[in-house]
Amino acid sequence: MSTNLRRDVQGLAFISPWLMGLGLLFVYPFVASLYWSFCRFDLLSPPQFIGTENYRRLASEIVEGGGFGRAIWNTGYFAVLSVPLSIALGVGLATMLSWKVRGQSLYRTLFFLPSVVPVVASSALWIWLLDPRDGIVNQLLKSASLPPQLWFKGASEAIVPPKWFDFGSKDALVFMSLWGVGNFMVIYLAAIGDIPKQLYEAAELDGAGRLRRFWHVTIPMLSPVIFFNLVMGMIQSVQAFTQVYIVSEGTGEPATWSLMLSLHLFLSAFQDLDMGYASAMSWILFVFLLIATALLFRTSRHWVHYQGAGR
Amino acid sequence: MSRNKPHPVAGLLLMFSAVVFAFPLLWMLLSSLKSSTQLAEDPYSILPQEWRWDNYIQAVQAMPFLRYLRNTLLLACGSVLGSVLSCSLVAYGFARLRWRGRNLLFGILIATMLLPWHVTMIPRFLLLRELGLYNSLGAIVAPTFLGDAFFIFLLRQFFQTIPEELSEAGRLDGLGEWGIFWRIIIPLSTPALATVALFQFIAAWNDFSGPLLYLSDPKKFPLAYGLEQFVSSYSDQTHLLLAAATLFTLPIVLLFFLTQRTFLRGIATTGLKG
Repeated sequence: MSTNLRRDVQGLAFISPWLMGLGLLFVYPFVASLYWSFCRFDLLSPPQFIGTENYRRLASEIVEGGGFGRAIWNTGYFAVLSVPLSIALGVGLATMLSWKVRGQSLYRTLFFLPSVVPVVASSALWIWLLDPRDGIVNQLLKSASLPPQLWFKGASEAIVPPKWFDFGSKDALVFMSLWGVGNFMVIYLAAIGDIPKQLYEAAELDGAGRLRRFWHVTIPMLSPVIFFNLVMGMIQSVQAFTQVYIVSEGTGEPATWSLMLSLHLFLSAFQDLDMGYASAMSWILFVFLLIATALLFRTSRHWVHYQGAGR
Repeated sequence: MSRNKPHPVAGLLLMFSAVVFAFPLLWMLLSSLKSSTQLAEDPYSILPQEWRWDNYIQAVQAMPFLRYLRNTLLLACGSVLGSVLSCSLVAYGFARLRWRGRNLLFGILIATMLLPWHVTMIPRFLLLRELGLYNSLGAIVAPTFLGDAFFIFLLRQFFQTIPEELSEAGRLDGLGEWGIFWRIIIPLSTPALATVALFQFIAAWNDFSGPLLYLSDPKKFPLAYGLEQFVSSYSDQTHLLLAAATLFTLPIVLLFFLTQRTFLRGIATTGLKG
């Protein structure tokens, strides 16, 4: 037996747990769900091939704004708001933490702590904080002479004109996700610490003020992390499930305004036992994420600055 | 260097943000100690009129808390064992051995991280059900023994930083790859292994969708799922709900404080290198 072959066998032996996982938990499910997406499959009888019917149904739901169309809109709304805002907030908080102030580590802990709170607990907490009738947030709004909001019980969408100050369930979910921005903030903070001081000194010598140094040194140096946050944020927000399930008590209520893709998929599969339809949906979602990620990677060449060649 | 000194207005902004971030948890903690009458009649006063520690005892008694806790701990410990064991083996194969197809398979490993869980959810569910794991904690623990791309990646990065000379010395002493892995690499990697254990423990503690999919018998519910049941059925007992949510959150917060450095470094490295 040649040494090459021996080394191959040895390598494969070490990674064998993952290889088994790859086969059982990724390749098989991948192939099976692709096949089932062309089937009628209710678990009770074997899958029955029906061609592209599931996909046509999904397409018509997009056109008519039915279940899937609704879910796409809701998920898109959530992602488009929560991802850029979490990047802005993450960078903002990390910048503030890089200042030399007293109690720096206390501030860091305070900003980070919400992100370790289990989603089930934070959802329960926010349902109560944002209670339309006697939640503390509405009380604070009232004492600032602002109108109280319906939050999780409301269907309005604050960025859709003319409802600029009318927060509904998805806006509440956005606020909740911003509260948990600590994870990304820690990554930004570490990246800010890695920025060479000479860059700031050089910019200062060139007469750049605070804001220009932030814009022309900090932001470009953080761009790899911003890019990472953008990709991960997109994937995570499209998959948002637990908080959506809990705040809508597993229904997508009020009136399907919180019905996001992952919840719609879950309900179609495990409540309506419509596995074929759900599989088709998961494939559309997958292809969409693939294209979106590829596009982000393409644009990244123009705005992401990698320091040195190795990274 | 004037860069690090904030403008006074900016300092105020920092303080204001800290208050906004800290408020929800603080408010939860304080309100969990208020009496139900106070919560109903005077919910906006900051401090409890009388400190009702009793709420916590009642919350624990209002649900099978200890059984939920036991299930959560079983899930968490099983998953930690599974992840640490499988991921360190796989990471060693990727980091320290040279074999054909290694880079290709590593690329596939990275690609699985980007795969949304929806695509595999249904067949995975049916497969585990076929294997007789439906309504068993095993359905959630077993997959962790088959590795996790994120943790494998993290450990591989760490293993690569260990000097190759140490492995060579082991080889000269007659150790095989298994011996090198077990006697040299593992003992040197405790910080990275601790990070994996910590993150997996927290993931298992928090996991909601796993139990929702796989468990039907209330006797097997973990805390995360039990708490959700509590949220939907005891919505009028706010004081107990808040006490239960606080109890559920507290261990994770304590764990964070105890392991702060491991914790933050783990997030920073995985994020930056991703």
